[in-house]
Amino acid sequence: MGFHLVRKTDIKIWQIALYYLAGIAVSLILGAVLLTSLEINAVDYYKDMFTAGLIGNRFPAKTIENFFVSFVPLLITSLALALSFKMRFWNIGGEGQFIIGALTSSVIALKCPNMNPFLILLLMVITGMVFSGITGLAIAFLKTKFNTNETLATLMINYIALYVIRFIGDTKADWNFFLREDSVRPKFASFEENARMPYIDIGGYHLQFSVIFTVLIAFGIWFYLKYTKQGYEISVVGDSSKTAKYAGMNVNKIVLRTMFISAAMIGLAGAFTASSSAGVSANITNNVGWTGIIVAWLSKLSIPGIVVASFLISILQYGCRIASASYPSIDSHFADLLQGIILFSVLAADFLANYKIVRRKETDNA
Amino acid sequence: MPDSVNTLDIITQFLFYLVVYSIPLLYGTCGEITIEKSGSLNLGVEGTMAIGAIFGYLAGCAADNLFAGVIVAFVTAALTGAVFALFTVTFQANQNVTGLTITTFGVALYYFMGNALGEKWPVFVNSKKLVGSLESINIPGLSKIPVIGKAFFSHNILVYLGILMAVLLWVYFEKTRQGMRVRAIGENPGAADSLGIKVNLNKYLHIMLGSGIMGIGGLYMGFNMSGTFEGSNCWINGYGWIAIALVIFANWNPAKAILGTFVFGFFKTLAVYYGTLAGSFPNALGWLGKIPSHFFAALPFIITLVILIADSVRKNKHSNEPAAIGINYYREDR
Repeated sequence: MGFHLVRKTDIKIWQIALYYLAGIAVSLILGAVLLTSLEINAVDYYKDMFTAGLIGNRFPAKTIENFFVSFVPLLITSLALALSFKMRFWNIGGEGQFIIGALTSSVIALKCPNMNPFLILLLMVITGMVFSGITGLAIAFLKTKFNTNETLATLMINYIALYVIRFIGDTKADWNFFLREDSVRPKFASFEENARMPYIDIGGYHLQFSVIFTVLIAFGIWFYLKYTKQGYEISVVGDSSKTAKYAGMNVNKIVLRTMFISAAMIGLAGAFTASSSAGVSANITNNVGWTGIIVAWLSKLSIPGIVVASFLISILQYGCRIASASYPSIDSHFADLLQGIILFSVLAADFLANYKIVRRKETDNA
Repeated sequence: MPDSVNTLDIITQFLFYLVVYSIPLLYGTCGEITIEKSGSLNLGVEGTMAIGAIFGYLAGCAADNLFAGVIVAFVTAALTGAVFALFTVTFQANQNVTGLTITTFGVALYYFMGNALGEKWPVFVNSKKLVGSLESINIPGLSKIPVIGKAFFSHNILVYLGILMAVLLWVYFEKTRQGMRVRAIGENPGAADSLGIKVNLNKYLHIMLGSGIMGIGGLYMGFNMSGTFEGSNCWINGYGWIAIALVIFANWNPAKAILGTFVFGFFKTLAVYYGTLAGSFPNALGWLGKIPSHFFAALPFIITLVILIADSVRKNKHSNEPAAIGINYYREDR
């Protein structure tokens, strides 16, 4: 005698939402237990975390700006990853594609110090998108043509790209225009004024163009998936590539195209981040390639869900950095710990919402 | 030119450190092979090693006993594996996402424990018996061989244990009935199930066994770092990812993993040691000094990518990649 799992068929969306909220609540309680074990007042800590320290902050505008600098790349990367995940193409190369986008766009920034600010931003974005997109396209080509394992291939490229950017950042040489000339120690050069992200000044708060574009991109991707033929094709391929073939779709073409878009968007996020932070650094990705996977999954690949989840995860990460600063016994990695607990709780909640455990009778054993 | 005695010493030293720094990779790789043979791809190696490392280290120091440390590293890492199995086997959650979450969580737990203990973090050298248990053991006869004797046959117990573990796993998967059954699950769980093999039970057991082995590798890395908690760099330092690459390089074979470990470890050791080598042998190896260390660090990933692509392009029949890897088995779908 044993047990087996049966998928529930009559589950309502609000019921799933309830399970999810319960999962998040459990995670926050677990987090509070951990904080209390460090003799940290969990209520104070969470208050600082969720408000990102805005209460009692004398420079709230700067805090909000910094928050958006870390939110924009996470949202774009999560959206991009969701595109490939929807086809069951496991692009876990977000980190590498982000670095490629940031690094190639910074070539434009450093080589054209006198170009018009809008033209240079456009060029940077195109460069980042093209180079990162080609990387994604290459993997998709190998996958469609030779069935190369894309999970492992994109994973390897993450680390190759990481060592390339570290190499550039550590190597003082005549050819290395990425570094500052006036510094004896190797240090990445800052962009000139023209390559920095333009902004609109709203009463002291600088609303960067990248934030506006990100909103447009999120809306665009939502529209693309929901209302265009190409978006429909992605969902059919994800459900079953056999069905897609019978329906007369060119599955390989869809995979190649979508993977190019996915990687190009991550390259765009890299270019945006380089421009917003006026230069690159070896840890420019801020782990968005990894976090984006968690965000996409937490949201079950729904576009509105990703907007909400990436916003909340950004608050979690940004808030943890600020809240942890007042305590010696904890650091910003607490955000990762909490993030892990949240994902596990939500995965468990998702299971409980969608499956029920049924006792198997002796007779129908296999 | 340095005199000949000194030259040989440098070679011995290089080879000695090659072994010391490579063995954690062997644990990580063999652990991952064990898991992948049963049909799961666990990207949580880095995190699992981190969890085994912290708890094994803390327990080992508290008990001042190496054996206690190894057992706790194995058990805590195996429990981490049980979480992976619970989510991917029972809950049918995506393996990539679950594995990555374990990595995020495990590495974060390392920082959490280190920061939480602060001043109370145990000092390695104060655990006299533990340190004593890690002293090099000379293998009678072999360790007397010039140059390579001290390099290969005079190591701490965890080095020998790692090699033994790899050999035993090879025997298990290639020569025993039970090992063949597990491989059948990795190739085609549906068929294995209809042959009466308990798919889920075996997946749980092998995910936990593999994770436990990784945990010992993590603990070993902690010892290599003299047990000093670093607030900016986790002990595991990317070795978990290299281990995942090494599984492909070793073609899912624990015996080949021993060889692969030394090949990848060679590059890792070169990345640290190339300056010394270039300085000691300016004529023969002076060119080494011109190659950036980042190149050696990236080489394992470059080689693996090339192998991965080459194998798929040639439709390599000798590739032992389990066919059902990464795909959850849901019995009702059979």
